[in-house]
Amino acid sequence: MRTFSDLNPITLAVWFLSVAGICMFCNFPVVTGLSLMAAVVFFLVRNKTAHRKTHLFFAVLFLVLALVNPLMSHNGVTVLFVLNHNPVTLEATLYGLNSAVMIVGVLYWFRSMTQIMTSEKLLYLTGALSPKLSLVLSMSLRFVPLFARQSEKIGQSQKALGLYKEDNALDTIRGKLREFSVLITWALENGIITADSMESRGYGIGRRSQFRTFRFTRIDALLTLLTLALTGLCAAAIGTGALTFGFYPALCIERWDSLSIAGILAFAALVLLPTIIELEVNLRWRFLTSRI
Amino acid sequence: MAVFDIAHLNFSYPECPAPALQDISLQLKQGEFAVLCGATGSGKSTFLRMLKRELTPLGDISGEVQFHGKPLSALDDRTAASAIGFVMQKPEQQIVTDKVWHELAFGLENLHLPQREMQRRIAEIVSYFGIGDWYHRETADLSGGQKQLLNLAAVLAMQPEVLILDEPTAQLDPIAAAEFITTLHRLCEDTGLTILMAEHRLEEAVPVCDRLLVMEHGRLLLNGEPRKVLAALSEKPELLCAMPAAARLACELSHEGDCPLTVREGRRFLHENFNNSVRSLPLPETAPTSAAALQFKDVWLRYEKQGADILRGMAFSVQTGEIFCILGSNGSGKSTTLRAAAALQKPCSGEIRVFGKPLKTYKNQSLYRECLAMLPQDVQTVFLRNTVREELQECGASDPPFPMEHLLDLHPYDLSGGEQQIAALAKVLAANPRLLLLDEPTKGMDAAMKLQFADILRNLKADGKTVVIVTHDVEFAAICADRCAMCFDGQITAVGTPGEFFAGNNFYTTAVSRITRGFFDGAVTLEQAAALCRTNGRKEAAPCL
Repeated sequence: MRTFSDLNPITLAVWFLSVAGICMFCNFPVVTGLSLMAAVVFFLVRNKTAHRKTHLFFAVLFLVLALVNPLMSHNGVTVLFVLNHNPVTLEATLYGLNSAVMIVGVLYWFRSMTQIMTSEKLLYLTGALSPKLSLVLSMSLRFVPLFARQSEKIGQSQKALGLYKEDNALDTIRGKLREFSVLITWALENGIITADSMESRGYGIGRRSQFRTFRFTRIDALLTLLTLALTGLCAAAIGTGALTFGFYPALCIERWDSLSIAGILAFAALVLLPTIIELEVNLRWRFLTSRI
Repeated sequence: MAVFDIAHLNFSYPECPAPALQDISLQLKQGEFAVLCGATGSGKSTFLRMLKRELTPLGDISGEVQFHGKPLSALDDRTAASAIGFVMQKPEQQIVTDKVWHELAFGLENLHLPQREMQRRIAEIVSYFGIGDWYHRETADLSGGQKQLLNLAAVLAMQPEVLILDEPTAQLDPIAAAEFITTLHRLCEDTGLTILMAEHRLEEAVPVCDRLLVMEHGRLLLNGEPRKVLAALSEKPELLCAMPAAARLACELSHEGDCPLTVREGRRFLHENFNNSVRSLPLPETAPTSAAALQFKDVWLRYEKQGADILRGMAFSVQTGEIFCILGSNGSGKSTTLRAAAALQKPCSGEIRVFGKPLKTYKNQSLYRECLAMLPQDVQTVFLRNTVREELQECGASDPPFPMEHLLDLHPYDLSGGEQQIAALAKVLAANPRLLLLDEPTKGMDAAMKLQFADILRNLKADGKTVVIVTHDVEFAAICADRCAMCFDGQITAVGTPGEFFAGNNFYTTAVSRITRGFFDGAVTLEQAAALCRTNGRKEAAPCL
């Protein structure tokens, strides 16, 4: 049984790009609202009550984003009240609220995706584009923490050697520069060994292939097709103007017909898809364990 | 059938008058396990690199290297890369990618193998080496021994016909090193893989190899069955000192006949040839106790708030002017103890005193001025100049504290592991510390270099300096320490002079002590055992057959 995060990275990437794309190009309040709701629910289903700080941060961000627009923009016909000789309008307030819903919704999706898209999945995706690119990425993923660790070691050993003569800022800066220079020498000298090791294992003798740790199964194919179909429907609705909402000068829905409804339903199905998969797997587990 | 056929191989590096290799001829047979030894700088690495085309250095080559009857240069790229596997010394730097599975796949990806073939080979190698538990881990999180095993597995996934290893265990602790050599032996027995390994940790390697090669000054000095080579080595103490303890003991006592190699054979050799009416040497006078240089009082330390305690009530005291060795396995808290003593890591509770003053009272870096200095495990973190001379001048050491003229004009990274350690020590001594803390100083040192290093430490001691060493190396601790301590589970569990300490241990002790156990009392070093044998004399009658 595979949860959403266990799907093939290609399916995940197609799904994520679709949702992010629709969210960015459509400001229809129902769509933004659905996106935020589904994003929060999905995040909660995956993380339960953990990551409270993330929620707090997003809540504060939401308030700031929602408040900034009505204070800055004074478009719109319905004046609610006047602040410092500036009118605060209903339209600008709702526009700000809608933008905040959209942005925070997308941020929640990004947060879930950074949890799901581990370096291995990113490598798989880049490997599908170019095995060389994927190798460079993999090596950098290794080098960054390696550098950090080595630089801490260098700092400690230079300190214990009596490098820092006094506790003053100038001496500290000079010391840091020396540490950096040690780090560079170390990296260059040891890079030679890595290069030797690569060459002795046949790097550069011809085309490279890519070892794939993920399989593309029928479910992956089905879900990818479903994602593309739903996205197509949404795109059609957005493209023909069936999901356009005007905030200024006064609130108005330009078109409302069956395509609008179809677009909204398709989007709802799209954003709820991960949560549904996740819940379905949970239920199946519970059912299976209850029979043991 | 010969895998490698090497005839009259000569090599010299560009702009270097002395040849690095001279007239080397050698045949390596299928399924052979050959061990190559020799002092640092004798040309072992250069020779091994001549057998792997991708790694052959630039220079003048004459003579021929044939692989399965074909000159090395005539092999196609794929065969050259996959049929000859090469594992180098540094475990960390050989690793290319970030995940274990990707590292195993790296060579196969380069060969452009189909997906199914890659999966099969990786599954096979993971199962053979039992690395399933860490298959999905980050390579950076592995221990040194695991990293080197990964390097070996990644090379073997390419299905080489011959495996060349250049001092693969030099950076490993003794337990991981012994495991690594056992794995190689198993490979050789299980699969008939041909192995050629340069090595200076010979205690484990010599008993399992089929052939011992000895190099000196770029020449292949000896080549043959290990026992015969050892018998021929008795004239060369600088090469003999790296050999297994049993063999050295037999040579020291000018034994004729088959040379014992393992502890078991060494014990039999003693029992059959010597009396033991005198069981122990007179004890050396114990030095009067002096003031404490370093004191730990019930120190507790953990790195993270929620993490486990690394030091759990660590308590010991080091006297001024002694060499104190802290031994113990990985993760027992040895290195953390040293870092806490150097004020690089703050303890959660307890007190550390340096020369009677609490560590906290050393303000404004005064701890590191003429008081205490620490040499880290990774000495490369110490160097930043282009030559050793500049390194020493930088910290105001006009002349080196011990003879090292031949190293002064070299780049620090061009020195061997042991030489780097000595250069770093010279740099540390420039600050004129009274208390020296050394973390694993013998890592990457060959046996001759260890003896030299022990001499240096004894001279420092004679100058009144106190030395605290953290090490895995029981043999080194036995020859240079005044007192040894066993660190286990964040505490010191036993302290004593090497004689008391190692004689009390059954497993975690020197090879000589294991050989003489129950026969002599308290013989820990080769000199002590040999002296006891000489005092007792040989058995008159030959043992009955």
